[in-house]
Amino acid sequence: MNIRRHRAILLAYLGMIILLLLTSVVAPGFLSATHLRSTAVLAAFIGIVALGQTFVIIGGGIDLSVPWVLNSAAVLMTLLANSQDAPLLWIVPMLLAAGALVGMINGLGVAIFGVPPIIMTLAVNVILQGGILVYTGGAPTSTAPKAIQFLAVGRIAGFPVVLILWIVLAAFATILLSKTAFGRHLYAVGTSATVAEFSGVPTLRTTVLAYTLSGFTAALAGMLLTGYTAQAYLGMGDPYLFTSIAAVAIGGASILGGTGHYIGTIAGALVLTILTGLLPALNLSSGALLIVYGVVILVTVSLASEALSSLFAALPRFGRQRGPAA
Amino acid sequence: MTELLNATAITKRYGGITALSRADFSARAGEVHALLGENGAGKSTFIQILAGAVRPDGGTVTLAGSPYRPRDPQEAQRSGIAPVFQELSLVPDLTVEENIWFRHEPLSAVRTVRARAMREATLELFARHRFPSIRPDQELRRLTLAERQVIEIAKALSRDPKVLILDEATSALGPQETEWLLGLARGLADAGSLVIYISHRLGEVREIADRITVFRNGATVAAYDTQAVDDETIITDMLGRRMDRLYPERKKTSTDTVALGLRGFGVDHRLSDIDLDLREGEVLGVAGMQGHGQRELFQALFGIGGSRGTVDVWGKPKTIRSPRQALTGRDGLALVPEDRRNHGLLLAKSVRENLTLSVIQRFTRFGITDPRREGALVDEMIATLKIKTGTPEQLAGTLSGGNQQKVIFGKMLLTEARILLLYDPTRGIDVGTKGEIFQLMRDLAAKGYAILFYSSDLAELVHVADRVAVLRNGRLAAILEGEQNSERQILRAAMLETRAA
Repeated sequence: MNIRRHRAILLAYLGMIILLLLTSVVAPGFLSATHLRSTAVLAAFIGIVALGQTFVIIGGGIDLSVPWVLNSAAVLMTLLANSQDAPLLWIVPMLLAAGALVGMINGLGVAIFGVPPIIMTLAVNVILQGGILVYTGGAPTSTAPKAIQFLAVGRIAGFPVVLILWIVLAAFATILLSKTAFGRHLYAVGTSATVAEFSGVPTLRTTVLAYTLSGFTAALAGMLLTGYTAQAYLGMGDPYLFTSIAAVAIGGASILGGTGHYIGTIAGALVLTILTGLLPALNLSSGALLIVYGVVILVTVSLASEALSSLFAALPRFGRQRGPAA
Repeated sequence: MTELLNATAITKRYGGITALSRADFSARAGEVHALLGENGAGKSTFIQILAGAVRPDGGTVTLAGSPYRPRDPQEAQRSGIAPVFQELSLVPDLTVEENIWFRHEPLSAVRTVRARAMREATLELFARHRFPSIRPDQELRRLTLAERQVIEIAKALSRDPKVLILDEATSALGPQETEWLLGLARGLADAGSLVIYISHRLGEVREIADRITVFRNGATVAAYDTQAVDDETIITDMLGRRMDRLYPERKKTSTDTVALGLRGFGVDHRLSDIDLDLREGEVLGVAGMQGHGQRELFQALFGIGGSRGTVDVWGKPKTIRSPRQALTGRDGLALVPEDRRNHGLLLAKSVRENLTLSVIQRFTRFGITDPRREGALVDEMIATLKIKTGTPEQLAGTLSGGNQQKVIFGKMLLTEARILLLYDPTRGIDVGTKGEIFQLMRDLAAKGYAILFYSSDLAELVHVADRVAVLRNGRLAAILEGEQNSERQILRAAMLETRAA
C-alpha cells in the first residue's frame, strides 16, 4: 500500500473517527454497542447501493437510476411474494437479474450510443418511476416476507445478517477493484477512455459491466431495505441517489473518474450515517440534515479538487489534455 | 514597387529553444510570396508574429513604412493582416455565415445581428471570389474538412485584408478546391494585395509565387525570384548541411519473410492503393509532408478508423477493426502513437500501471492479478529501456518527455507484438534519448521484429530506415533504398507533383 496515493481514503476514515468522537461528546451513549450496531446497519444500505456507484464513478460515469431501480425491486418483490417466503427463491434472483439488466442497458446506452451518463441514467430512472406508478396505481403494497426481514434485521450470534452480507460484498468489490483485470481496466477507462482504447483495453465491456453491477446492487439494496422497513413504499429509493454519490465522493474518489476505492466508500457511507444520527441528537430537523449533507459534499469535493489542482500544477502541461479526437 | 511588409532580424526564443534567430522577410503589395522551409524551420513562429499571436524578442517589422507591433490578433486584423492557419479556428456549432462574420457581424441600432445583411454580405463575398458552393446557413459541424478550410479562407477575406497569409491551406483541399485557391491567391495579388503562401508543395509554389523566401533553423537563408531559381537549389537551401551523429550503425537484418503485407490498402479519400511489404528484421521508413496520408496509414493499421484493402500479418489475412484486435500477442501489431499525452499514457497513473496496461492477462491467474509477476515484468522493462523513474509507482506525468516515450515503448514491447508501428517516436525528445531509441529500433530489427517508422525528421529516416516509402496525396509516390534513400530524394518524391496535364 502506498500511503501517499491513498491519502484521500485515509482522510475519510480520519473524518469518520473525528465525527464519532464529536458525536459521543454531544450525545453520550452514542458510542454504545447497540447504537454503533444500528448505525452500521443503516450504513450498510447506503454502502450496498454505493458499491455499484463506486464502480460506475471510477469508470468515469455516474448512475442516477439507482433510486428507482431500488424502488422497483422493492415494490415488485412485495407484490410478487405477497408476504410469502417460498416464492422468494425465484423472485430474488429474478429481480437481481432484472436490476443488472437495467444497469446493462444504462451501460450500453453510454458505451455504444454515446449518451451522456447523466442523461441516460436519469431517463432510465424516470421511466422506471413511471412504470411502477402505472403498475401499482400508487397503492400501497403488502408487507415484506419474513425471510427478507430476517436478512435485513436478523442476527446470527448477535451479529446483524445484513452486516455480514455487506462485509462479503465489500471483500468482493475490493478484490474486483484491486486484483482483477476488470478493476485495472476500469481505472484506465475512467482516467482516459482514449488511452485505454489505444492500449487494447476492452472499454465497452468494462463500462457495461460497471453499470450492470450498479443495477445489481441497487436492486439488492431495494429488497433488503424492504425487509428493514417491513414494507415497500413509493419514494423509498429517493434518498439513495444523493447518499450513494456522496459516499463515493467522501470516500476519496474523483467524481471525474479514474480514482477511488470501495474501501473509501465504506467510510463515506459510515460518515453519512453518523451525521444522520448526530443531527437529531442536536435537535436539528431533517431539513437541517439536508443542508448539512449538502455542505459536507461541497467541502469534501472541493477539497478533492484542490488535491487535483495541485496535481495539475505539478504537471505543467497536464491541464491542456484534450478530449479524445473526434 | 515598394515593399509593403518588411521584417528584419526577427528573433524569438521559447525557453532554451531558439525558434527564430535571424529571420528577414520582405514582400511587396501585389505579389504572391512563398515562404518555404522544413518542419521546425520557424515559418509558423514567424507568421504567428505577423498575426499578432506571438511577440518577437527582437527585430523590427514595418507595414507600409510604419512600425508594426500588434499587441494581439485583433490589432493585427485591424492593420489589415489576415492569417489562415492550419489549425482551424471555426466554431462547430455556428453556421457558415455566423463563422465568417464572427465578432464583426453587421449590427442594427440595438446591436442585434442583422441576419439579412449578413446573408447578403456572405453571398456577395462568395460571388466575388467564386467560392465553391456552400450553403451559408449550414452548421459548420456538417461540413467536410476541406469545406471548413474554405470557410476559414472566407472568414479571412471578409475583412478585406491587405495581407493574406495562407499556411498550408491546400493540405486539406481536394484538387478542384486547390485549383480554385491558387487562382484566388493569384487574383488577390493582381488586385494589389500581398499573399504570403506557405506550402510544402513546390509545384503549387511555382505556379503562383512571384518570389520565394527560404527559412532554415530559424534564419533566412535565401530569397529568390521564382523564375530565377530551380527546385534543386531550393531543396538544398531547405536542408543545408547537417551533422550526422546519434545514429546507430545500420546492418541489414531483414529476411525474405513478409511480416506485414498490404494490398490495395486505403482510408476513405485520404489514403489509396497502398501496396507495401514490411519484412521481418526490417525498419521501413514512411515519409511524407504533413497531411499526405501517413497518419491515416498508421491509425488504420492499428484499427482506428475504417480501412479497405487486405492486410496480411505473418502470411495470414488479418482483420483489424480496433486496437484490441491489433494487440494479439506475438502475432499482433503495437503502436507508439503520435500523441503521447492523449493517446499513449495515463499521466495521472503510475509507471507500473502504464507499462502493464495492455498485458494484464500476462500476470493474471484464475482471474486474480499477481503483483510479484507484474513487478518482475515492470522491473525488467525499466532496466532494459533505462527508464529514469524514482520508483515504478511514480506518476507517468511527472517523467520527462523522453522517459514517457520509453514507458510507451515498454508498454508496447510487453505485448510481445513483433510488428511495431512507430509514429514520430522521437518528436520533442532530447538528443540522448533519441539515440537510445534508434539503437533500440535497430536491436529489435536484428531480433526479427518488423518496424514501420514514420518521422517528420527526414534525416532520421535516411539514417535509421532500411527503405523509405514516400507518400504523396495519400498514395505511394516512391520506395527509396540504398543510394536513393537520401533527404533530397525523399523531399523530391514528397513534393514534386507529377501532375497529369
